[in-house]
Amino acid sequence: MSLLRVENISKSFKTLQVLRDVSLEVNPGERHVIIGPNGAGKTTLFHCITNILPIDSGAVYLDGKEISKLPAHHLAHLGMSRTFQKNNLFGDLTVEENIHLALAAKKPYRYDIFSPLISRTDIRKETNDILEQWEISNRRHVKVKHLSYGEQRLLEVLLAMASNPKILLLDEPTSGMSPAETAQTSEMIQKLPRSVALVVVEHDMDVVFAIADRITVLHHGEVILSGSPDEVRNNEVVKEIYFGGGAKKHA
Amino acid sequence: MKKLLLGVVLLIALVFAMPLVLSDFGINLATEIYIMAIFAMSLGLIMGYAGMVSLGHAGFFGIGAYTVAVIGQHVANTYLLLLLSVVISGLIALVTGAVFIRTSKFYFLMITLAFGQLLYVLFWQLKPWTGGADGMSVSAILNFGFGEIVSPNGFYYVMGIAFIIFYILLRLFVESPAGKITKGIMENEARMSALGYNVRVYKLLAYTLSGALAGLAGALYAYFNVFVSPDLSGWMFSGQVMVMVIIGGVGTLLGPALGASVFIYLQNFMSTYTERWPMVMGALLVALVLAGKGGLIHWLQHGKSLFVARKRTGEAVSQQPVKKGEAVH
Ligand SMILES: Nc1ncnc2c1ncn2[C@@H]1O[C@H](COP(=O)(O)OP(=O)(O)O)[C@@H](O)[C@H]1O
Ligand SMILES: [Mg+2]
Repeated sequence: MSLLRVENISKSFKTLQVLRDVSLEVNPGERHVIIGPNGAGKTTLFHCITNILPIDSGAVYLDGKEISKLPAHHLAHLGMSRTFQKNNLFGDLTVEENIHLALAAKKPYRYDIFSPLISRTDIRKETNDILEQWEISNRRHVKVKHLSYGEQRLLEVLLAMASNPKILLLDEPTSGMSPAETAQTSEMIQKLPRSVALVVVEHDMDVVFAIADRITVLHHGEVILSGSPDEVRNNEVVKEIYFGGGAKKHA
Repeated sequence: MKKLLLGVVLLIALVFAMPLVLSDFGINLATEIYIMAIFAMSLGLIMGYAGMVSLGHAGFFGIGAYTVAVIGQHVANTYLLLLLSVVISGLIALVTGAVFIRTSKFYFLMITLAFGQLLYVLFWQLKPWTGGADGMSVSAILNFGFGEIVSPNGFYYVMGIAFIIFYILLRLFVESPAGKITKGIMENEARMSALGYNVRVYKLLAYTLSGALAGLAGALYAYFNVFVSPDLSGWMFSGQVMVMVIIGGVGTLLGPALGASVFIYLQNFMSTYTERWPMVMGALLVALVLAGKGGLIHWLQHGKSLFVARKRTGEAVSQQPVKKGEAVH
């Protein structure tokens, strides 16, 4: 059974229809990449899947359970996690404090109003583990706004991974990065454990083909193709509208 | 936590040292300042840690004050009256907040303004109980079981200690998981929601705590002032406490308390010279906003960090030879 099933969802902003009968299936552990020109509706699709925006019609299922009517904060508890296209970290907090906030979401003491958060030994230990695992222990006390852009995007992924999700949605993880940072991020994404399925919106074709098991092409809010990297690479329609004639190095 | 302990020791020292230098008038003024500081901290909590700007916070202050004035005619126990003030204002904050927090920033401002005005009118209209526009005197007398507190010094110490207690409680809240999470929500709601937090619960929690504390400040004020009137819930007073928070510094706890001190002091000081003291206050506010430092407390912190930085660079210089030595290896 597929882990995430998006069934014929549509979404309009006033008169502008941004998503039209979009369907999508993601299996456990799968790396699913969504490509499509700017304005195709990729970010909106993520917002609809994660219920940041309500959908007009259709349904979204996680593990066979309909989630389209659940409030956004429930999804994290069901194992769905995401990053945002724009950096969405807490700039005035340190790396460590950002991780604390990500971890506390699943703690029974998240409604505690008396004892200091930092006095909790479990959260301190888990934070240390994460810092070591991602090799950023030396950056723990740095305020996030003082990190490089690439580091911020990395932290963004790491925070989304902190809740141990079954599925992680990454919205343009390499946008605005230098080539070196892009390569680094691509490598990091490939290293993520297969216990988590990934749905990634990505523009950089090197990254796309490096990570994708399956690719879905979104155009003007419609899925025009969903298939293996080879199928997508060789599809005439895709070449026409996305690669602009197929003269790209990947073709 | 060490910092909190140090801060509390300093505050205690302050509270107990002031009577040594203050005149009777000064004692009275300081007592009022402590009460207003509690009130300002309560508004500062939602403004600076939850991103909610209320123009009706005096509504809760009035509820607390009238609780002591009205129910105090029949109930003498100070603990019970204070508890009632906190519970009633907290409950009203909970119920109204459940609706208010769903609105956007602008509508929140408007709806809280309307809330405060509604209470103002209510205290005005319920003449048989509240004395209407004339207000009413407070017959309840402060008594914590150690005898009636009536002297200016007695009031001074009670309010000073209350201020310290609520400062500690607020500090604990701000450092607690719920406090940190609320701050996170203020900065980035969608993000916190995606991380799995029910953002409305936290906003409502902060609003309720803030309303309850404002009610308590009102209750203390009723004891202190022995007279309450609808103005305690009016928009003027709501605006004034907001000014206290802003000139003191949004986003800190002691900032609003400092703002309250400066505000009350200037109000008393200037009103003896000129009728136009609100203009002077306005000018001060504009100057502070233009200076862009975010309140008086930030000037203090800025001064402190300059001092600390100088000390640090001093240390760094003395360490340099060691580092150079390492570099040679
Ligand atoms: N909140 C919104 N209100 C109105 N239009 C929007 C909103 N968000 C996105 N859009 C429009 O929807 C279309 C798709 O946007 P988006 O999903 O961000 O595209 P993509 O992520 O594929 O670049 C764009 O035309 C954009 O202008
Ligand atoms: Mg986008």
